[in-house]
Amino acid sequence: MFTALYFGVVGAVLALLMRVQLSVPNNDFLEAAYYNQAVTMHGLIMIFWFLSPLGVALFNYLVPLQIGAKDLAFPRLNALTYWLFLAGGLMAVLSFFVPGGAAAAGWTSYEPLAGPVYSPGPGPTMTYLGLMLMAASVTVGSVNFIATILWLRRPGMRLSDMPMFSWFALFTVVAMLFAFPSIIAAFLLVLTDRLIGTVLYAPPSILNVPGIDPSLLWDDLFWFFGHPEVYIVLLPAFGVIADITPAFTGRPLDGRNWILISVAAIVLPISFGVWMHHMFLTGIPNVLLEVFDVSTEIVSIPFGIIVIMFILSMVHGRIQFKTPLLFIVGALVLFIIGGIMGVFLSSPVLDRVYNGSYFVVSHFHYVMVGATIFGLFAGIYYWLPKMTGRMYNESLGKVHFIISFIGFNVLYAPMMLLSDMPRRIFTYQNIGDWAQLNGIATVGAFIFAGAQIIVAYNLLHTWFRGPPSGPNPWGSQSPEWSTPATGSVPVAPVETEPAGGWIGQLPGPQSASVSGPSPVSHAMSAVSHEVHLSSRPLTLSAGVMLFLTGAALYPGGAIQLSVLTIPPGVFPLALMVLGVGVFAASIVGWAWDDIRNKFVGPAGDPGGDRWPYDEVPKMKLGMWVFLSSEIVLFGTLLGAYIFIREAALEWPSPASVHDIPLATANTLILLTSGFTMAMAVYAIRKGDQRGLLGWLVATFVLGSTFIGVKISEWLGLFSGAAPFLPSSSNPVTALAASIYYVVVGLHGAHVVAGLVVLVYLMKKTARGGFTKDDHMSIENFALYWAFVEIVWCFVFPLFYLL
Amino acid sequence: MGRFGASFLMYSGVLAATPPTVATWTRVYDVYLTLGVGTAVVVISALLYAVVRYRSRGQKEPVQGAKQHGWKAVLAIVLVMGVILAIAGSQTFAGFTNIEIPNSPGTVTVSVTGFRWGWNFTYPDGQYVIGDLTVPVNTIVILNITSSDVYHTFGIAMLDVKEDAIPGKVNQLWFNMTEMGNYTDAIRCYQLCGVGHAFMIANLTVVSQSQWNATFGAQKG
Ligand code: HEM
Ligand SMILES: [Cu+2]
Ligand SMILES: [Cu+2]
Repeated sequence: MFTALYFGVVGAVLALLMRVQLSVPNNDFLEAAYYNQAVTMHGLIMIFWFLSPLGVALFNYLVPLQIGAKDLAFPRLNALTYWLFLAGGLMAVLSFFVPGGAAAAGWTSYEPLAGPVYSPGPGPTMTYLGLMLMAASVTVGSVNFIATILWLRRPGMRLSDMPMFSWFALFTVVAMLFAFPSIIAAFLLVLTDRLIGTVLYAPPSILNVPGIDPSLLWDDLFWFFGHPEVYIVLLPAFGVIADITPAFTGRPLDGRNWILISVAAIVLPISFGVWMHHMFLTGIPNVLLEVFDVSTEIVSIPFGIIVIMFILSMVHGRIQFKTPLLFIVGALVLFIIGGIMGVFLSSPVLDRVYNGSYFVVSHFHYVMVGATIFGLFAGIYYWLPKMTGRMYNESLGKVHFIISFIGFNVLYAPMMLLSDMPRRIFTYQNIGDWAQLNGIATVGAFIFAGAQIIVAYNLLHTWFRGPPSGPNPWGSQSPEWSTPATGSVPVAPVETEPAGGWIGQLPGPQSASVSGPSPVSHAMSAVSHEVHLSSRPLTLSAGVMLFLTGAALYPGGAIQLSVLTIPPGVFPLALMVLGVGVFAASIVGWAWDDIRNKFVGPAGDPGGDRWPYDEVPKMKLGMWVFLSSEIVLFGTLLGAYIFIREAALEWPSPASVHDIPLATANTLILLTSGFTMAMAVYAIRKGDQRGLLGWLVATFVLGSTFIGVKISEWLGLFSGAAPFLPSSSNPVTALAASIYYVVVGLHGAHVVAGLVVLVYLMKKTARGGFTKDDHMSIENFALYWAFVEIVWCFVFPLFYLL
Repeated sequence: MGRFGASFLMYSGVLAATPPTVATWTRVYDVYLTLGVGTAVVVISALLYAVVRYRSRGQKEPVQGAKQHGWKAVLAIVLVMGVILAIAGSQTFAGFTNIEIPNSPGTVTVSVTGFRWGWNFTYPDGQYVIGDLTVPVNTIVILNITSSDVYHTFGIAMLDVKEDAIPGKVNQLWFNMTEMGNYTDAIRCYQLCGVGHAFMIANLTVVSQSQWNATFGAQKG
């Protein structure tokens, strides 16, 4: 949570810089290049490293408390989530200082502007790599939360008994699980373009393939993710509102189930069916304009139900005007305004004026800053006594609310009126009332920012000096209050190593000063992490980060160290090698710890309430959830491929490039390995350890053969007669090669990862590590392996036969 | 109803007759504005009223037997919102005339190519001008918009028209200007396209039909 707040401050400073620049016409406080970086990184940091993580930090703290779990289902994965997130954030922030600067193509990263031609240099590459780490972190995190919520509830707690906040957490992570793979896919293509020289988003000026439209490919991929993402940002705040309103109204929520049904409707079908409302001006056919106009209107209906139910939940209550309640009311008011602006935007006709203008900026700040931040503030004030055992200062809280609310509106209401001013321009001429409106907005920005100093003071003061709050200051019925307030019994910090998680004792320069050795900071990690202290997730993330940074910088220029000149390429290469080393060491170490059974969890699994997954063990559930995100990932990539194939007027015939009989034989080899893997599972189910080992070895041999043939085929394609290189002189082959290498390469990487795991499994089997009753890893691996094969069953016909 | 939220529209104040695209846009907008402001006022007042009316007068205990609304309330919300949205949506559908390219005789077509950082206008007779779009008055003008490098968005705020300029793709928009004159900086780029984005501006010049034909219109119609 500190880390999220820290990134929040970075993002806010960027925003203030921009507001200063725009306060008067023709200003030259920030140059265009820096302004563009600021506007881009402000968006990325605020959304990915501040708002979402702040919500997830609350999940991390509260969900286990609310459902009565000791911790998340996979604590080490939770640590991994945190460290990947931090590593990604560091890369993004550091990219400012790298040649090329931070990404400057807007958070939407429209192509081809974000590609290597128009945003050259390692800086943007590094930003986007950081984003990938963040996305990986989100995927790992969502698997963990879903498994936790479905599997670790306290005995007797049915899903329907769960507190609202946990419900919203579940919906949020489900949305994350399905949305983030598509952005991983979208940015994977950006990064291969930038790093390896594929031409997936190359503009026609570079690669002219008739019919191909890289900008639209990007738009579709990005917004298919981007729209659900905005709800991902919002839902934690609504979860707070739904959960804590009753504490201040003295009555239960009205229409609890209807609220849940509405959220379910938003998250699963509808939010994935409105993305083209961001593309109304791209020249899509009119029927699509109509369809997406209507679907966007439809999505506002469940939001309407939720808001009205929140309002009805106030009726007949006895409302206490405490700070959290004020923030709730503020969030609702701002959401109503912002949501109605959204309905204006849902009209393709009206959007002819709004698109790309400050009206859109105003809209999404009303919903993201207004509704989300205000809602999260309500939660922070409300649970502060839980986290610290101390009560915040009520008057300061109220002052904070009033100034924030006023500042917010002074900041964003003028932007509503600036519907003719393009967004993301770094300066403007003195036209109409632009100068006045921008001036007012900048004043508002400083009022709003100033108000946040109050809350910073209030939080710190509460933390160290606040009066004791007692275990349940709000008289709430919710289960998290039934345990003693965590801070009331000061405990000396015993953790020598960070346990990870987005809440808790987070090391690192920025939080050391805040948390330090205060008793409270330990107490905040109320869920116990002792069983699994491990530095592996940290080193693993650090290894990945080093490697990727090296890759982004490569080859770079020469470096002068007084007398010594390091030739280009050496330093990045060294970083990469070091990164691979650290990464490999952590993986091997992790596996080794496991083989030696270093992590003995609490004996047996506590019998929790697991409906609807009583029969499925926790690991397997996690694996299924993970695989479903993998399905979205490959689905998106194959979708991109089909999109390109459909649009291209000509395409090289597979038989002219690939050796089809060989590839068919290879496919059979892979399928056979699926059979041997299944045999391995049967063997161990019968308790036959030698049989297991034999079948595993067979699988390994077959898998290696498959990948070996694959590699030789690749080498052939790079050097052979048919020029199937991304740099090929023929544009269509270049494009075909690019998508082929990315998709087949990603599949190959999955096979290789599988082989690595196989090595570990064989090793553990050889040591007698699996028995009839304890062979979960084998079952899970079999699932994974089956998935890899199924993907190939799609890839093979699509790339080799059609 | 007045149009607030359009500071640059000072130009439309000086136009004797409202251009058709502006008339349509404003008609749609007025409906949205009425419904939107109406809804916002009703809902926000209800919220504030509820909060104030049911404020605690010292009670601390939970209230017993507060009413729970069920499917009837939900149905009512869906119906009311459905009606509001249907009215709004039908206005939008009626306003699609702004988007559909008219297929009538006597139109003129100009090609627009966005580049970093400016606009290139190519006229029917083949000549091209950078930074200034000249069109005949009281004529339907169709623009074929594309880009030679990155994604741009071509917009004329005073006419309520805008369309993306995408490399490798041609998008169309139309308008009909009702008054002659020089409209400085009327055309802007609305999509971040690099460091020159803020200066990707062009003028709109409206001349008489005969003058336009003499200068550019080798093949009118
Ligand atoms: C009733 C609900 C909503 C409707 C009907 C709606 C509609 C829209 C539409 C049509 C756009 C595209 C405008 C354009 O680019 O021309 C848009 C943009 C946006 N909306 Fe919403 N919206 C709603 C709620 C939300 C919420 C709850 C959030 C986030 C918490 C949100 C965040 C955004 C963002 C970030 C953008 C701008 C993306 C960009 O171009 O950078 N919206 N909205
Ligand atoms: Cu959207
Ligand atoms: Cu631009």
